[in-house]
Amino acid sequence: MRWRRLRTLLLREVRASFRDPFTVTVLIAVPLGALLLFGYVLSTEVQHLPLAVLDADDSAASRRIVADLSAAGTFDAMRVDSRDDIERALIDGRVSAALVIPPGFARGLGEAGSGAPAPEIELIYDGAEAVLAGNAEGFLRSMIATTGAVLVNGERPRGRITVVAHALYNPTLAGVPFMVAGTFGFVLSFLTTLITAVSIVNERMNGTFDQLQVTPATSLEIFLGKLLPLGAVFTLDIVLMVLVAGFVLGVWPQGNVFLFVGLSAFYVQVSLALGLIFSATSATPAAAVQKTVLFSVPLVQLSGFAFPTRNMPMAVQWLTEFFPATHYIRISRAIYIRAEGLSELLPEIAPLAIFATILTVIALRTIEARS
Amino acid sequence: MSKLITRNPHFWSNVRAVAYRETRILRHDKPIIFALILQPVLLLIIFGGVLSNKPRNVPWAVLDRSATAASRKLIADVRSTGYFLEPVAVEGYAEGRDRLHDGKALAMLIIPDTFARDLERRPGAEVQLLLDGSDPLSSARVAGFIAAVVAAFEPRAPTMRADPAVRTPGAIAIRQRFRFNPTLRDRDFFLAAIAGMLLTNVCFSATSLGFVGEREAGTYEQMLSLPVSALEIVVGKLVPHLAIAYALLTGTLLAAGLVFGVWVRGSLLALAVVTLPFVLASLSVGVLVSALARNSAQAVFITVFFTLPSFIMSGIMMPYQLMPHGVREIGGFLPLRWYQIALRRIVERGAGLADVAIPILVLLLIFAVLLVMVRLRMKPRLG
Repeated sequence: MRWRRLRTLLLREVRASFRDPFTVTVLIAVPLGALLLFGYVLSTEVQHLPLAVLDADDSAASRRIVADLSAAGTFDAMRVDSRDDIERALIDGRVSAALVIPPGFARGLGEAGSGAPAPEIELIYDGAEAVLAGNAEGFLRSMIATTGAVLVNGERPRGRITVVAHALYNPTLAGVPFMVAGTFGFVLSFLTTLITAVSIVNERMNGTFDQLQVTPATSLEIFLGKLLPLGAVFTLDIVLMVLVAGFVLGVWPQGNVFLFVGLSAFYVQVSLALGLIFSATSATPAAAVQKTVLFSVPLVQLSGFAFPTRNMPMAVQWLTEFFPATHYIRISRAIYIRAEGLSELLPEIAPLAIFATILTVIALRTIEARS
Repeated sequence: MSKLITRNPHFWSNVRAVAYRETRILRHDKPIIFALILQPVLLLIIFGGVLSNKPRNVPWAVLDRSATAASRKLIADVRSTGYFLEPVAVEGYAEGRDRLHDGKALAMLIIPDTFARDLERRPGAEVQLLLDGSDPLSSARVAGFIAAVVAAFEPRAPTMRADPAVRTPGAIAIRQRFRFNPTLRDRDFFLAAIAGMLLTNVCFSATSLGFVGEREAGTYEQMLSLPVSALEIVVGKLVPHLAIAYALLTGTLLAAGLVFGVWVRGSLLALAVVTLPFVLASLSVGVLVSALARNSAQAVFITVFFTLPSFIMSGIMMPYQLMPHGVREIGGFLPLRWYQIALRRIVERGAGLADVAIPILVLLLIFAVLLVMVRLRMKPRLG
């Protein structure tokens, strides 16, 4: 490897990338767009969820339940007159849940103390929106149970339990830090692979890649000449994303920023090598991109970007360990949210290093095979 | 458009000619055929069998300083919801915190030593719940499950297995059911709308790549030199993709039904009707992209980065109802948002044509706007 030849290749790559305004636009717009859009999409708060109420009892007790449900702003109660109304509202998605209070509810509540069974009310959720229904379930049940206890035992009953909940690292359980940290994984897995894939195939179509291969440059030099400049560009991207996440979304890494940028830059090299392999095995840019999309979409989905890997079947959880993105997203969340340091992250860094080695060897082979 | 058709008596025969040509070309397009077969299979597997928002096998720790019948009852009640693993009993607060930090527990329940005594007094007992905030979605759900158990807690009532239909303890018995999806499987939620994802993918990329590819190959110029108008070319190119879209829709619905048991409950007619404006709108987006891009690599880029956000923001993967205002409204401009609303109504809730009138109208409106934009952008141009 000659330093002078490598420097020429590096310069060439930097000039080629920055001459194309489209690439520059993509490099800036995609990470920022992804941050701003994905940052807000995940919310754990149930607010103003439309709730149909069929109050056939219309007593002080039943009205109290409805009032308590609406008071916190969690539910917007909408009175309906029949079960048919509930059915209609559920089908066209106007309400996410429905509450049915049967006639005689208040009477039942009064008799409950003297050994009679507790009066019953009915909750119907729109299971079609599974996530929404799941979130609403906990709220509705606990709010009704609380009101019920107050109605039977008075305002300050005995035997009540209060839960004092604290969330570590993220007291409000806000979705934004979680998604911001994940978005780094998404952008650095996807955009990097896509850009390399397209850049090399484009060169091959123009014939400039063949020209490169007849120069005295070795395949390692060509490999580094492609990888390092793109790596540097993406490192700038990482810094840009950190700044935008901080200033616009108000999310700064809780851990060491330099450690985060350093490890991210390392991960970028892994993705770039993957992109090189995709491109070396495709004939046209369209095919390279199809391949990238086909592999990257499941990869990102399965890596825990939006859906925790814990909820996946056991076999798939094992499989996800073989995706570099899984480990990077864990690292990103660990530094961003839990402020973990280098030594704690070693179990995630080690597999990344192994992937980096394997992918580099394969990428070098594919470049050589072409010459 | 109608004015244009009456002015040109050859409109439909020209469209037919372009459509015929397009079909012949598509038959040889390997990447598209690949995408049409492999992608649906992959997405069906991932969304049908793998992804889930619903916490399950939640690892948790318990610091039971009370160690009384009442505290053990509370733990058993939480366990009986079915979402939690066997709790790990920890000796001290720090140990539990470490488990949370290492991701070995998602929550820690701390029951104070005065628990049983406080339970008999006013204002009652207090338990502490420590959650892992780095996984906010799961933590919020877990907090909800535990709050519901605690609110209904009665020390002397027997612990019951979680069954939505069974009466729960407490002053008010709650009988609840999940309409349309009794076990609240995420699978049903995803599979109902998966056709929307696949159609978006195919429609966006088919047209965007198709047009740019032709411009690169020089065949677009050849077509322009023929006695056909730009609009006829556009419409002619859309027709074969419509057929592909309906074939894909049928295949996906059959696969979701046969493999995962998620069948369409509502009207198939409504489904066919709402799909038409959606596919047309999505194809038009592809045409617009092709007008923006200078080569096929760019076209693919723009397409990919239109597609992925539209998956997330349309509400296919996460409920749009929970997104903050602003983000939610931006998603309203996406054809996929309205199509997924219609799909969930028809596939999951068994809706008919009248129930999806609004999504159909909105999709038609989006298509009309896109068509005007296409008409403005696709001026015949050479070179």
